[in-house]
Amino acid sequence: MVLGVGLVAGTYVLTDTINRSFEDIFEAGNKGTDVSIVPHEEVELEDEPPPFDAALLEQVQGVDGVEEAVGTIFGLVSLIGEDGEPLQTGGAPNFAAAARPDRFEAFEFVDGRPPENAEEVALDKLTSDREGLAVGDRLTIAGEGPARDYRISGVATFGEVESFGGASVAVLTPEEAQSITGKEGRFDEIVVAAEAGTSPAELKRRIDAVLPAVVDVRTGQEQAEVLSTDIAEDLGFLKTALLVFAGVALFVGGFTIFNTFSITVAQRTREFALLRTIGASRRQIVTSVVTEALLIGASASVLGVLFGLLIARALNALFKAVGADLPNTGTVLAPRTIVVSLLIGTIVTVVASLVPALRATRVPPVSALREGATLPAGRGARLRAPAGAALVVLAVAVLCVGLFAGIEDDNTALALLGAGAAGIFLGVALLSPQLVRPVASAIGRPVERLRGLAGRLARENTMRSPGRTAVTAAALMVGLALVTFATVFAGGLRASIDRTVDEDFAGDLILQHVDGFSPLPSAASEAVAGVDGVAAVSPLRFSESRVEGVPDQVSVTGIDPRTFANVSNLSFIEGSEATLTGLATGDALVEEDWAKENGRGVGDTLRVTTPTGARKAYAVRGVIVGPSALSGTYYVPNEALEVDFDEREDGVVLIDVAEGADVDTVEAGVTKVLDSGFPTAEALDRAAYKEAQGDQVNQLLALVYVLLMLSVLISLFGIVNTLALSIYERTREFGMLRAIGMSRRQLRQIVRYESVITSIMGAALGCVLGVLLAAVIMQPLRDEGFELSIPVLSILAFMVLAALAGVLAAVLPARRASQLDVLDALAYE
Amino acid sequence: MVEARDIRRRYGEGDAAVDALDGVSLDFPDGRFAAVMGPSGSGKSTLMHILAGLDRPTGGTVTIDGAEITELDDRHLTELRRDKLGFIFQFFNLVPVLSAEENVVLPLSIAGRKPDPQWLDQLITTVGLAERRRHRPSELSGGQQQRVAVARALISKPAVVFADEPTGNLDSRASEEVLGLLRHAVDDFGQTVVMVTHDAQAAAVADRIVVLADGRVVHDGEAPSAERVLDLMKEVV
Repeated sequence: MVLGVGLVAGTYVLTDTINRSFEDIFEAGNKGTDVSIVPHEEVELEDEPPPFDAALLEQVQGVDGVEEAVGTIFGLVSLIGEDGEPLQTGGAPNFAAAARPDRFEAFEFVDGRPPENAEEVALDKLTSDREGLAVGDRLTIAGEGPARDYRISGVATFGEVESFGGASVAVLTPEEAQSITGKEGRFDEIVVAAEAGTSPAELKRRIDAVLPAVVDVRTGQEQAEVLSTDIAEDLGFLKTALLVFAGVALFVGGFTIFNTFSITVAQRTREFALLRTIGASRRQIVTSVVTEALLIGASASVLGVLFGLLIARALNALFKAVGADLPNTGTVLAPRTIVVSLLIGTIVTVVASLVPALRATRVPPVSALREGATLPAGRGARLRAPAGAALVVLAVAVLCVGLFAGIEDDNTALALLGAGAAGIFLGVALLSPQLVRPVASAIGRPVERLRGLAGRLARENTMRSPGRTAVTAAALMVGLALVTFATVFAGGLRASIDRTVDEDFAGDLILQHVDGFSPLPSAASEAVAGVDGVAAVSPLRFSESRVEGVPDQVSVTGIDPRTFANVSNLSFIEGSEATLTGLATGDALVEEDWAKENGRGVGDTLRVTTPTGARKAYAVRGVIVGPSALSGTYYVPNEALEVDFDEREDGVVLIDVAEGADVDTVEAGVTKVLDSGFPTAEALDRAAYKEAQGDQVNQLLALVYVLLMLSVLISLFGIVNTLALSIYERTREFGMLRAIGMSRRQLRQIVRYESVITSIMGAALGCVLGVLLAAVIMQPLRDEGFELSIPVLSILAFMVLAALAGVLAAVLPARRASQLDVLDALAYE
Repeated sequence: MVEARDIRRRYGEGDAAVDALDGVSLDFPDGRFAAVMGPSGSGKSTLMHILAGLDRPTGGTVTIDGAEITELDDRHLTELRRDKLGFIFQFFNLVPVLSAEENVVLPLSIAGRKPDPQWLDQLITTVGLAERRRHRPSELSGGQQQRVAVARALISKPAVVFADEPTGNLDSRASEEVLGLLRHAVDDFGQTVVMVTHDAQAAAVADRIVVLADGRVVHDGEAPSAERVLDLMKEVV
C-alpha cells in the first residue's frame, strides 16, 4: 500500500514539479516583457509554428505607448560538438535564440559575454558543463541549411532556473539566429516594453488593433500562462500513464491487504468468538476490523506520501535514463497530492478489508470453546465461483464494447478497457481457488519428482487453502499479465513496423535525423542526389491543416511527384501514375480511407487552412492507397508545402538505389556526403531502419517494465506475508516434523518450494491472461499489421524470474520456519 | 538401552531459577515398557524431552545404545531422532496433507529411504488401518489418528519410542486400543517404550512405573494395577 500510494503521490509530485519548473522557465523568459506578439496558431503543429513577417515590428514600434519593441527568434536547431557528433540532450530539443537587449534578456552571463558578431555564440551553462565546452571552444549549429561553425563567446544561466528541461540553448546575434533557422525577414516573437504610465493590458489593446490576425497579442503574463498551460496539457498524457500504473499498484496492493486481513481474521477466530460469547454484536466486530483497516490504511498512506517524494525522484531519474530529461526547479508537494493520496490509500485498504471483516462476524460464539476452530464457509464461498465466472463474462463484454463499439471519446474507451481488464482480473481471482488445485498440482509435480518429500509437502500445502493461495498468486498474476500484455503488444507493434517498412517502402535507404524525429535541412536531399548509384531521392514533408467540412485536423504529406512512386508501393483507386507525376502546385491526391470517410473524390476541392493562417484550395486529382503509416492524409507537392504551409524541412528522405548498384557502397557514399555538411542526418538501410524503430518500441517497453515492477514487488510482499502467516499457523506441524527428524534445511525447502509454486502459478496465470488480453485488444489493429506472436522466450524468462522471485520472497519466512524452537513449537497453542 | 545419569535442568537464572530436574538417574533397558508419572510441574515432560534430544540438560549425560547424545549438535540430534527414536504426541501428530500411509512412512521419507514393504504391511494391519491407508487425517477418528502415529513411531524400528500423553486426547475405548498397540509392540516386536502420562489406567499397562515429583525420582518399581497406581500416587506425591 505504501508503494501504491507512493506511486500516486510520486506522479503528482513529479508532474507538479515539472509544471512549476516550466512556469519558472517561462516567467524568466518573459523578463521585461509587457506585451508579447506571437504567431496565431490556427493549426497545431508537432513542432514550432511558422514565424511571421518582420515588417510587423515597425508597425508595433509605431504604436503609442511602446517604449521598446524587439523581434526575436527562438527556433529548433541541432547543436554539434567538436567531435562532429550532435550533442546528446536526452530527447530534449536544442534551440537557437536571438540575443536580446538587456531589459528583455533572460540569460545572465557567468562567463564571457553575449555574441557580438555572426561568428559568435553563447551557450547555456548546463550544456557547457555537461559537454565540457568553454569560452573559446568551437560549436557547430545545424539549422535549416548546412551546418555552421561558431566560437563560444560566453556561458549563461537562464535566470534562476538551473536546468532548461534538459534542452540546450545557443544564443546568436539576431541576424545570425534568423539566418541559421531559415527565418530571414521573419520573427518568432516580438517582445514589447511599455512606456511608464501605460499598462500592459492597455498597450496590448492598442497593438492588437493595428496588427493583422496572423499574430496573437498577449500581455507578458498571459503569454507565460498560455505556454505553461500548453506544457501542462502535453504532460497530461504522462500524468495519466503514470496514474494508470499507480492504479495497478493499488489494485495489486488491495489483493495483498485482502489476503492479510483474511488471514489475521482467521487467526483471531477464537478471539472474535470469545467477544461474541461475552456479548459483542456483529456490528461491533465489523467495526473493530474496519477501524483497524482504517488506521493501517491511513498510516500506510502517510508513509506512502513521503515515499512518493522519493518515487518522484526515482521516476525523474528513470526518464532521464531512457532519454527524457525533465526540468526540476524544486520539488512541489501540492495539498491536492496529499489529500488524494491519503484518501485513495485509506479507501482501498478499507474496501479490501470489508469481506474479511464480514466473515469475522460469522464466527459462531461456541467456537471459542473448541480447539482449532475454523471459520464457517458461508454462502459467499459457494457463490464465489459463479460470481467470478459472471464477472469475467461481464468484463469481457465491457472490454469488447470499449474496443469495438466505435466509441468516439478516447477517454471513455480507455476507461472501459481499464474497467474490463480490472474486472477480468477480479473475476479470475474469484475463480482461481477452483484453478489452484489443478494448477498447483501440475506445477508442483515436477518439484515433487525432483525434491521428494519437501516438494510433496510444499505442493500439498499450496493446495491446502486454495483461497489464500489463489489471492496471493492473483496479485502476482495482475502484474505479470500486464507485463506479458505489454510484451506481446510491443511485439505486435514491431511486427507492424517491419511490415510497414517492407510493404510500403520500395526504396533502399532512408535519411532521417539522428534523433529519429526532427526534420532535416532540405539541402541534405539535394546534396545526396549526386552520389554515385543514387537513382532517385524523394523527400517527404509533414504538416497539419484544417480542411473545410472536417472537424479534426488533417495531416498533410508533401511529396516529390516525380520520384514518390520509385520509393513507395502505391496503388491508384482513381487516377494513375501519370496523375502522380503530373501533380502540380494546387493539386492533391487523397488517401483512400480518408477519402471514403469524408466523402471526397476526384473533382472535389479541398479548402484548407494552413499553419501560416493562409487559406488555400487544392483540386483532388486522384485517390491512392499509400504507405499505411500515412493513412488519413492527403498529398500535395513539396513546393505547395513550402509555400503554403511554410514547411521548409524534410521529415524523412527516401532514396532509391540504381539497378545493379550495391546498396552498402551507395550507403557509404551517402554517409560521406552527410558527414561533410549534415551531421544531424543519418542514412539507414531497411534493416537498420526497422531496428531503429524497434529500438524505440523496446525503450518504451523497458519503461513499462520498470513501472510494472512496482506492482510485482508489491505482490512479492504479498507472498512473503502469506508465507509468514501460514508458517505461523503451522507452527505445531513444523515442530512435530522437526521432532521426528526433519532437518532445518528440509523445512526451509518446504517453505521455499511453496513460495516458488505459488509464484509460478501467479506467473503462469498472468502470462496466459496477458496473451489473451493482448489477443483481444490487438484484434482491431490487425489491419495495421499487428501480428499476434506469443513471445515464448520472454514468457519462459518471466517464469524463471517468477520462480527466482519466489525463492527470494521465501528467504525470511523460510529462515523463521527453520529456526523455530522445537519445544516451543510443540507447546505452542 | 537408554541411560540417564544425574540429569539436571534449570530454567532461568539467579533467584528466579527453577530446577525442573534435580539429579535424575534412570536406565531404560531394551524391550521394556516404562511409564513416567507425576503431577504437573514434576518434570516428567522435561525428562522426556531431554531423553529424546529435544532439550539439553544443564548437567548430566544421556546415552542411547551406548552413544552419548548430550554433546551432539543440532544436525546430529536431528538425525538421531530421525533414525533411532520414535515419537507419539498428545495431539497434532500427523501432517494433514498426507495420507495415513504417507504419515506412517514419514520418518523414512525424511531420510530419503524406502520402507520395507512387508514391515509396512504388517504395521498397518497391526494398527488396524489396512482399509484406510489412503485416507487423510481429517477423515480419520481421533483414535485412528493416534494409531497412525503409533505405526509411524515404529516404522523405523527405533531404539526407543517416546510417547508423551498418547491417550490424553482420546476416549476410553480409543485409549485402550492405543495402549494395547504399545503393549503389543513391546511384547511381540521387542520395542522399548517410554511413556509420559498422568493417567493411572494408562500407566498400569506398563512394566514399570517411575514417579517424579519436584524434579526427583520418588518411586521406581513394577507396575501394579490401575487402582494401586492411584494409591501409589497418593502415597509418594
